Amino acid sequence: MESFLARFRHITVLLLLLMAQLLLLAYQVKTNQEVRLIRIWAVTAVTPLARAVESVSVYWNNVFTTLVRQREVLSENERLKGEVSKLRIENQYLQGELATADRAKVLLAFAQTIPSKTKAARIIGSGTGSNARVVYVDRGSADGIARNMAVVTSKGIVGKVASAYPTASLVTLVTQQGFVAGVVSQVSRVQAILRGTGSDLCTLDYVRNPFALQDKEWLYTSGEDRVFPKGFPVGQVRVTKKSNTEFEFKVQPVALDHLEEVLIVVEGIHGAIPDPAPAPSQEVVILPPPPPAPASAEAPAAGAEGFGSTDADRLREKYRKLGEAQGHTYGGSPGRPPDFNKAVPSAQPKPASAAPGKPEEGKPPAAPKEPAPVKP
Amino acid sequence: MTDFDNRLMDIAPREPAVTRFRPLSWLVVPLLAIWFQVFVHRFVGYVSYLELPLLVTIYFSMMRRQPIIGSVFGACVGLAQDSLSDHYVGMFGIVKTMVGFIAASLSLRFDVDSPLLRLTVTYALFVFHQMGYWAVAKFLVGQSVDLQLPQMAIQGFLNALIAIPFYLVLDRLKEEAR
Amino acid sequence: MRQPDPPYHQDSAYSMPPIPRDEGALPSIKIVVFQYVMAAAFIFLVSGYWTLQIQNEQIYNEKAVRNEIRALPIPAPRGKILDRDGRVIVGNLASYRLLLSRDNLREDHIIPIATGLNLDPKEFAERLRRYRSLPSYQPMFIKDELTTAEFTFVEANRDNDALPELELISSQRRVYPQDGVGAHLLGYVSEINDAELNTPEWARHNPGDEIGKAGIERYYNDALTGVDGERQVRVDNRGNARAELGIKEAVPGKDLMLTVDLDLQIVAELSMEGRNGAVVALDPRTGEVLALVSRPSYDPNHFVGRIDPSEWNKLLTDPDKPLFNRALQAQLAPGSTFKPIMALAALETGVIDENFTVTCTGGATWYGRPFKCHKRGGHGTVNLYKAIAQSCDVFFYAVGNKLGIDNIAKYAEMAGFGHKTGIDLPQEKEGVVPSTQWKMRLFREKWFAGETISVAIGQGALTVTPLQLAYAIGGIATGGVWMKPHLVKESAALAPARKANLNIDHVNQVIQGMWGVVNDYGTATAARLPGLDLCGKTGTAQLASNELLKQRKDLKDNAWFVGFAPKQAPEIVVAVLYEGGLHGNLAAPIARDVIKAYFDKKARRNPRAPEQPASVASMAPLPKVGAAQRP
Repeated sequence: MESFLARFRHITVLLLLLMAQLLLLAYQVKTNQEVRLIRIWAVTAVTPLARAVESVSVYWNNVFTTLVRQREVLSENERLKGEVSKLRIENQYLQGELATADRAKVLLAFAQTIPSKTKAARIIGSGTGSNARVVYVDRGSADGIARNMAVVTSKGIVGKVASAYPTASLVTLVTQQGFVAGVVSQVSRVQAILRGTGSDLCTLDYVRNPFALQDKEWLYTSGEDRVFPKGFPVGQVRVTKKSNTEFEFKVQPVALDHLEEVLIVVEGIHGAIPDPAPAPSQEVVILPPPPPAPASAEAPAAGAEGFGSTDADRLREKYRKLGEAQGHTYGGSPGRPPDFNKAVPSAQPKPASAAPGKPEEGKPPAAPKEPAPVKP
Repeated sequence: MTDFDNRLMDIAPREPAVTRFRPLSWLVVPLLAIWFQVFVHRFVGYVSYLELPLLVTIYFSMMRRQPIIGSVFGACVGLAQDSLSDHYVGMFGIVKTMVGFIAASLSLRFDVDSPLLRLTVTYALFVFHQMGYWAVAKFLVGQSVDLQLPQMAIQGFLNALIAIPFYLVLDRLKEEAR
Repeated sequence: MRQPDPPYHQDSAYSMPPIPRDEGALPSIKIVVFQYVMAAAFIFLVSGYWTLQIQNEQIYNEKAVRNEIRALPIPAPRGKILDRDGRVIVGNLASYRLLLSRDNLREDHIIPIATGLNLDPKEFAERLRRYRSLPSYQPMFIKDELTTAEFTFVEANRDNDALPELELISSQRRVYPQDGVGAHLLGYVSEINDAELNTPEWARHNPGDEIGKAGIERYYNDALTGVDGERQVRVDNRGNARAELGIKEAVPGKDLMLTVDLDLQIVAELSMEGRNGAVVALDPRTGEVLALVSRPSYDPNHFVGRIDPSEWNKLLTDPDKPLFNRALQAQLAPGSTFKPIMALAALETGVIDENFTVTCTGGATWYGRPFKCHKRGGHGTVNLYKAIAQSCDVFFYAVGNKLGIDNIAKYAEMAGFGHKTGIDLPQEKEGVVPSTQWKMRLFREKWFAGETISVAIGQGALTVTPLQLAYAIGGIATGGVWMKPHLVKESAALAPARKANLNIDHVNQVIQGMWGVVNDYGTATAARLPGLDLCGKTGTAQLASNELLKQRKDLKDNAWFVGFAPKQAPEIVVAVLYEGGLHGNLAAPIARDVIKAYFDKKARRNPRAPEQPASVASMAPLPKVGAAQRP
C-alpha cells in the first residue's frame, strides 16, 4: 500500500483534487445551492482593487485625452506663451473632468425624470466565462441592492441583478441566454417577450399580434415581468418575414454599448410608455423613437385576443343578422315568421337567393359561414 | 526514491531542472491574470479570447515540473476563476487541475525552454481546456453549450502566440536555478 | 529513524558510487505521512459515499433523481362536443398551464409567486397544504389560461434563479359558446374541489384535475376525458429542460357528437333572449334532443380553471337563478298544456266520446266551489275539438270530474309525467303526478274530489318539467310511442321505446284539436306557419307550488306552449316555458321559430322535396276546418 501510493502519488493527488472538486460541483448541482461564501470572499477581495483600478483608469483616461488635446492646442496656438498654454492645459483638464461629470449628470438627470427610485452604480468588471454576458457593478447588498432588481441607463434597460454581494453585484445582461423581459411596442402596442440568446441580438417570443408589429418600431418594457418598471426603452425591433404567417423578430438592445454607469432600480414604479422621445441623452446620435401613432385606442386588451370562439358563436351571429335583416324578433312578433333560408345580407342582394323556396345547394354541414355564391 | 522516479531519472537525466520562483509570484501572477480576465476585458474588448489564467497555469506547472504542484496550482487558479463567474464553482477548477497536471508531466520529458515546444503545448492544452470545460458543462452540469471547434482552433493559436512573449516575461520571475 | 549506512563495497562488484539512499529517507517519511492522510481522506470519502448512497439511499437517491429528472404532465385534450352535423359547440384552445414544482419550492417564494400571479397568498398557501398528501414530485396546478401579464411574469422569473419552481406546460383550454349559449345543456369543466375529491365518483382524480361539473360535460365526463401523458425531462439547476428522456403521449378524450342541431339551438337561444324559461325540442320518432335551452344562462367560460369567487357568488345570489336548468329541473304546473292528455284519457277510458259536449258559461261550481273558465263570457257549447282549440276550462272540469284523479294519474304517468325521462343529463327532476295514493303516502290524507277539478286543467299539485312536456306530447303525437330523450346517439340503443296501446282514432281527435289551436282561431294562431301543419297547445299556469320563485312578489303567470309538426308523422316536438309570460300565446312564437328553423333547414338539405315549400312570402288563407266561431 505504502509503496503503491508512493509510486502513484502524482496520479493520486490529481485524482483526489478532481474528486474533491467533483464533489463540490455535485453538491451545487444536486442541492441547487451556491457556495455563496466562496463567492462572497472572492468578489469582496477583488472589488476594491477593481474599484481602484477603475478610478485610476478614469483618471488616466482623462489625462490621456488632455494630453492629446494639449498637443492640438500647442500646434494651433504655438505663438502662445507657456503660461497661457499651461492655463489651457489646466482648462482642458478641467473640461475632461467635466465630461465625466456630464455623463454622471445625464444619468442623474435621467434618474430624476423617472418615477422609480434608483441607485447609480459603476461597472467594474465582466464575467470570467467566455460567452457569459454578465458584468460586475460596484454596488452591493450593503447599498441595498438585492437580487432581481432591474438595471437601466438613460438609453434603456441593461439587465438585472443576478446576485448581490456585500460590495458588488453581478448583473445579467439582456443578451444573456435565458434572459427574459416583458416588452410592448410603442406604436402598435403589441406585447411580447424579449429573450436573450447569448449573442448580441435578442429575439421576441410570444408576439401577441405579429402582423401589427412594424419594422423598426421601438420596444419598451411592459412592466409585466415584475422586474422592469414599465416604460424603459429596450431597442428597435427588426422584423423579418419568413413566410406569410411566420415572422422573425430580432432586437438589438440599445443600452449595452459603452456601458460605464448604470442605474439600479431599487424601488420600481411603473411609468408610461413615453409618447414623445424618451429622456434626452447627450450621447445619443440617432434620435430614438419615432412619434407615436395618433391613437393607441386599438391597443388590444389583454386576454381579449386570446378568446376562442366556436361554430356556435359564428352561427349565432349569422342567425342574429338574418333576423335583423328580416325585421324579425326571435320568439316575438306574431305574424310573419322568418325565412331562415334567405342568405345573410352581407353586401349586395343576390338574384339567385331572392327567389322564394330556392334553397342553397347542398353545402357541407360543417361549413361555418353561409356560402353565398351560386355557380353560374 | 521510488522505481518510478529512478526510471524518470534514467530517461531524463538532466540537471534537476526544477525552476524556482519567488514565493510572492505564485500568488501575484495568477491573481493578476484572473483580475485581468475579469476586469480588463471590459476596457479592451478584443482581448476576450485571451485565457491568461490558463497560460499562467501552463507556465507555472511546466516550469515547476512537479505534477502534484501543477495540479494543486491549476485547481487554485481554476477555483478562483470560478468564484468570480456566474457558473458553478469547480468547473474551471476541474479542467485547470488536469491542465496543470498534464503540463507538469510533459515538462518532465521535454525541454520546456524551447519556444516551439511552449507553443505546441500551449496550443494543445488550450484546446484540451476548452473541450474539458465544454464536457464538464455538458455532462456534469447539464448545460447546453455549443462547441465551436473552428473558433476554438483559432483562439488556441492566438493564445499560443501570445504565450511565447508572455512566458518570456514570466521567465524573469525565476529565481536562479539550483 | 535513520538506518545505519550499509557497509560500503560489501556486496558490490563495482566501484560505482551507490545510490545515496540516506538522502531519500526524509522524503520517505513525508510520503508515509502523506499516505496516511490520503488513506484517511479516502476512508472519509468512502464513509461519506456510504451514508449518501447506501444508508440513506432511498431518501437521497429519490431526491437526486427527482432534481435531475422532472416529470411534466402532458394534459390530454378533452374531447370536443359537436352538434349532429359535426359543428363544434365546445372546442379547445391551445393555452398554457402553470404548474408549481413542489420539490424545490422555497417557503419564501410563496409570497412573490402569489403576488406576481395576482393570487391571494393565504389561499395559495392553503392550496399548497392540500397538496401535501401527494408525493412531492407531483407538481401543483396553479393556473390555466394565463393573462399576458402573468405569462410574462412567469417567463421572466422562471429562467433565472429567481423563481425556478414555476413550470409552464402547454395545455388546452375549454372554449364554450359565448353569452351562455347552450350552457345548461353543455355544462362546464372546472377544477375539482375538496368535497368532490372525497366522493367515490371522483376518487381517482387528483387535486388540480379539471372535471365536468354539469350538463354533458359531467354526464359524459369519462368519455370526454383523455388520459394524461407524461414527459420526463432532465432539467438543470435552473429548472430548464435540457434533454428529453422519455415521453408518454397523452390519449385525447373522445369527441362527442350530440343529437343537438346547432341551428335549432341557436334559434331557440335567440328566441329566449331576454326571457326566462326553457325550450326543449325533440325528435319524437327517435327521442333525439334537437335543442335544449334554459334561460337565463351563465357563461361556462368563466368556470374553466377556477371561477372567480365573486362571480360565483353573483351566480348563486341572482334571483333569476341562472345556474338552474329550467328545461329539466323546473317543476311547474303545466296548465292547459295538460289538456290533450286529459282528452286522451277521457276518450281512452270511455268517459266521453266525440259527441260529448259541455256548455261553458264562463265558469261552473264543483263540490261547492266556483271554478272559472279563462274566457269570462264562456265558450258556449263546446265539443272536444273546440275545447282543445280554445282551451275551454269548463269542458275539462267536467271531464276531470268524470275521470277521477286516479285515471288522470294513470294517463299522466303513461305520458311520462311523474317520472324522470332518463335523458343523459345529470340532475333531472321528475315532477309530481298527484293521486290518492300519492296524497296518502305524502300527507297521510284522503284525496278530495274537488282537488281533481284543478288537476284537470293542469293546476293543483300537478307539476311537470318542460322536457317531460315535450316528451309526453311527442309520444302522443306519434300515436303512443315514447322514445327516451337523449343527447348522444349511442346512448339510445340501450333504452327500448315505451309503447301504449292507444286507439288511433282517439289520438287523431286530440291531434286535430291541437291543430285547431294553431290554425283554427285557437289560442295560438301566432304560431301559425303557412304551408305547415303545426299542431300545439298553449298553457297559462298560475304559480302555486313553485318554491323556487316563491320569494318573488311580482309573480306572473307562466306561459307554456307545446307544439309539433307536421300533423301527420311528426318530426319535431317543441315545448316552451316562458316564465312570467302571462299567456301561452306569447310562448307560441318561440316554438314557431324553432320549428320553422327545422323545416327551413330540411328544405335546404333536400331542395327537391316539393311537399314543404320552405318559405312563402305571403300568408296563405286560413283553411276552413271545424266550426269557425269568429267572423
